[in-house]
Formats: sequence, structure tokens, C-alpha cells
Amino acid sequence: MRALCWNGVNDLRVETVADPEILNPKDVILKVGLSTTCGSDLHLIDGLIPTMREGDVLGHEFMGEVVEVGSEVTKVKRGDRVVVPSFVSCGECFHCAQEQYSLCDTSHPKPELAEPILGYPTAGIYGYSHAFGGYSGAHAEYVRVPFADVDCFIVPEDVSDETALFISDAAPTGYMGADFCNIQQGDVIAVWGCGGVGLMAQQSAKIMGAEFVIAIDRYPERLAMAEALGAVAIDYTKVDVVEMLKDLTGGRGPDACIDAVGMEAGGRGIQQAYDRVKQALYLETDRGYALRQAMMACRKGGTLSVLGVYGLMDKFPMGMIINKGLTVRAAQQHGQAYVPRLLEHAQRGELTPAAMATHHFSLEDGPKGYDMFKHKTDGCVRAVFKP
Amino acid sequence: MQAQSHHDDLAHQDGLAHDDDQDRAASVSAAVTIGKSANEVRSLWLDPATLPRIMEPMARITPRADHTADWEMDAPLGRTLHWRTRRPEETDRLGWTTVDGADVPNTGTLILRPAPGDRGTEVTLKLRFDPPGGLLGSGIARLFHVVPREMAMKALYNFRALALTGEVPTTEPQPAARNGGMDK
Repeated sequence: MRALCWNGVNDLRVETVADPEILNPKDVILKVGLSTTCGSDLHLIDGLIPTMREGDVLGHEFMGEVVEVGSEVTKVKRGDRVVVPSFVSCGECFHCAQEQYSLCDTSHPKPELAEPILGYPTAGIYGYSHAFGGYSGAHAEYVRVPFADVDCFIVPEDVSDETALFISDAAPTGYMGADFCNIQQGDVIAVWGCGGVGLMAQQSAKIMGAEFVIAIDRYPERLAMAEALGAVAIDYTKVDVVEMLKDLTGGRGPDACIDAVGMEAGGRGIQQAYDRVKQALYLETDRGYALRQAMMACRKGGTLSVLGVYGLMDKFPMGMIINKGLTVRAAQQHGQAYVPRLLEHAQRGELTPAAMATHHFSLEDGPKGYDMFKHKTDGCVRAVFKP
Repeated sequence: MQAQSHHDDLAHQDGLAHDDDQDRAASVSAAVTIGKSANEVRSLWLDPATLPRIMEPMARITPRADHTADWEMDAPLGRTLHWRTRRPEETDRLGWTTVDGADVPNTGTLILRPAPGDRGTEVTLKLRFDPPGGLLGSGIARLFHVVPREMAMKALYNFRALALTGEVPTTEPQPAARNGGMDK
């Protein structure tokens, strides 16, 4: 089959590889319908995450049709149209039982690579380096999905492929970030980042009853998309964000701040310059400008919900958290906990992720799609691949 | 999951000095908690098919009918190390000991104790390797392709996965643009 493969820093190629096989009895093989780029892939492509190997198949956000079923799969059937969260989760362990699916205790085939970095291995991820399990990714014609009865969710007929695609990762990640904010009546939520995850966090906060949502970015087309979803949009290159947020909230500050940017945050001024230099010298992997600004802007006693992917950041302003009494919530997406209700929100028209699919490509044009996505060419929010 | 290593007392008695802690770590342990009763954990461990599955691909283990098993481990420079193990004679003990003639005499000890609350059973695996003098001279870490603490940790990770899901997680073989299109 054909697959989009990582061959080194900024070196993606579509290559011919073997088809995946059923390896364990709870596996299925999916014929990929659609897959999409994710901002977190850029960390792999830019070489900020180690343990990639030349020839690894990328892609962790996808949907498709079940074409082959393992001997112990009981719920999912051949022909089912399904969406799959990006983390492999067993549904049987301590963490899965608490709906902490991205912390699954049993799905990592290479735990010896993860333990030295994090203390304990997380769940495995499709197409996201060997420290996260080394599973072959979904930018391919076919992909193997372990624990299919837990990880495959049947897409209702009235939900389109494009909508289902983003319920694999961007939507559950954003929804979880809003869920972390424990939104109460009158709460104002500020979201840094208007990429796929940020836009979904904004729409989710509205669904959960936020008084209003503020979206922070610098790309006009993304800010326009946030406004279309009902957010108040702020261009951080044009205003003092912290002052603006105070103005918008009667001096209280947002009740919760969601960081949907992560380690490659843009920014302004001396702090940004400092972050860029340290990252360029590999003294640290993260820039962290958005996170620092969110901590400053957040109201006292508020919640900081961190969805952006970070590596190892030094100079973390811990005093801000302590002195302001902030609650910090963070996780990689526990998608299996959220997908059923997200599909219902989509059916009711409350969740509308399909608009993020701004650019469509064949799988063969995958490298071009990533290039447009990375450089945000032509207002690209997400590049979507159809094998 | 935590793995600990401590210095091999024998190495010190022999007056062997090593700069690298890993080199001296002939005794290691790792622990996991498994959400199953001690009886369930014990019977899975005693199933002759279990140890070969959770040790693969670190060691190739062939169980034999008399509660013994033949082990093969790949070593640097194309060498393969062999030994035969037997279960402890005491029925309340779990693990293995090598019989005479092992390339690297070793023991494995599995200890079960109840976890707090309803969290199941805490499972500790202790491994001890007593390489002959010549082999120890090159350092325990260079004896195998995998260091002993990784071996204990990964075996227990796989054991917990097998106990909870009936599967050991794997990615091999799978598609990749190397080795002729398939990662093996």
C-alpha cells in the first residue's frame, strides 16, 4: 500500500510499504477514509521529538471502514464506518476504568523507551514516535487498530466523513480542555490558539454554557473562523492581550484559560526572543509564550487548561500558579470518554468541525499538504488526505 | 512502575571496580500493580505459555514438561547465551533458578502482595544474574542486548497487559518504509 512516511527532519515522502496485518485477536484493519494533519505532527517533522525512525508512517487523526476483524472482536463488524481516537486504549486497566484513556497501562509496545522520559509509560499513539509506542500511523491506505471494541466508534449515517474525522482528535482534545474548566454560569473562557484543537475548545466551551469565549491568535482567517463559531477574536499582534482580557471581563480576568498552542508558540518581545534562542540551541524544546501569557491573564483562583503539546520546559513561572491559586489541568486526549457525546453534538448541529477541512489532497500529495499546513499557506487550517 | 538496582555484593567482594552503576547491577527489581486477585495472577504466572510471551523478544523461552524451561538470549558479537531453569521446589514460591551448566546463572523471584483499596495485587519481579568472572569483567550491562532492569520492567508491563487484556502489545510486523516495507 501507499503511506506517508517520515524520513528525517522536514523530509516526508509517500512510499510503498507492506499492508498491515492483524497481530492480536482484538485488532481490526481499517481502510482509511480520511486522515488529517495535526499541529503536534509538526514537532515530529521539525525534529523536536526524539525516537522517530526513518520510514515511520505518520498520522494519528483518522476515520475509515473496517475491512478485517480479529478473532476476539465482538462489537465492531466488517463494513462499519468508524472513527478512532489517536491513543490506543485497552478499556481494561486502572486508568481506562477512570476514563483516563491516554494513560492506558497496557497499550505501549515499547515501555522501556517511555519510562526513562516520563517515569511511567503512557498509552501508545498511532504514528507518533517510538517513545509513544511506535504504532504505524494512519496516513496510509490501511491501518491496524488494536482493541477495536474499545477504540472504534460507529459513525451515525447523518454525520459526514469530514465531521467524524475531527472527532478522532481535534474535537475530543478541545472538548476535554473545556471540560477541565468546570464551566459555571457566567464563566468567561479564553483560548490561546485557533487551530483545530483551539477552535474545538472554543465551540465546546460554548456548548458547556460559557458566558462568552475569547479566541487569541494572529492569523486573520483563523480568527474569522473563531468568530464564526461565536467567539470574540483577539489578534495578539495588535493589542496587549492581558489588558484586553481585563477590559473584556470587568477587570476579573477569564475564569479559565485554555492553551491550545503548545511548544511552538509565537509571541512578541524579549521573552519570545529568549524562548526562540533556547529552542534553536536545543537547550530546551519549548517556547511557551502562550502558556506564560495565559497564566498572567487568568483570574485569581481560575483554571489553566493545557492542551498544547510540550516537551521539557525550564524557567516555568511556578510562582504564578501558587500566588494566584490557579488550578492546572492537562492531559493528552482521553478521546474514548468523549467520542459518543461528540457524535451526538454533531448530529444536533452544535459541533461543526468539518469547516476546519480547508484543504483537500490525495494521499500522494501528503508532503504538499503538510507544507501548506505548516506554513498556513492560503489560510490552511487543516489539510485532509484521502487515500 | 519502578525499577531499582543495587550493587552486586559479589562484585565488591571480588574487588571488581566499575565506573558505571549499570555495570554493577546484577540484581534488579521492578514492580507493577495488576487489578486482579493474587490467585488469578498466580495461575497466569504458572501457565507455561506465559513466560515465553512476556519475555519475547528479549529472550526465547521453550517450556518443557517437567517444570523446566530452556532460555536463549542474544548477546553482543553474535553470541547466544543458553540456560535451563526450573521452578522453585516450594509451592508457595514463584520464579525460577538456573540448573547447573548455565552460561549465566540467574534467578527470578516473583512476589505478590495485596494492593491497597480495590487495586488488586502488587507484583514485584526480582532478577539476579551471577555471570562467571570472565563475563562479568565486561560488565553486566554489556552482557545482553537488553539491560536487566529494562528486562524486569518490560516483562512485568507485558505480564500486566496479558493479565488484563489477554494480549501483549506489539507492533511487529507492521508497515514501515524500511526492511522491504515491513518492520520486523
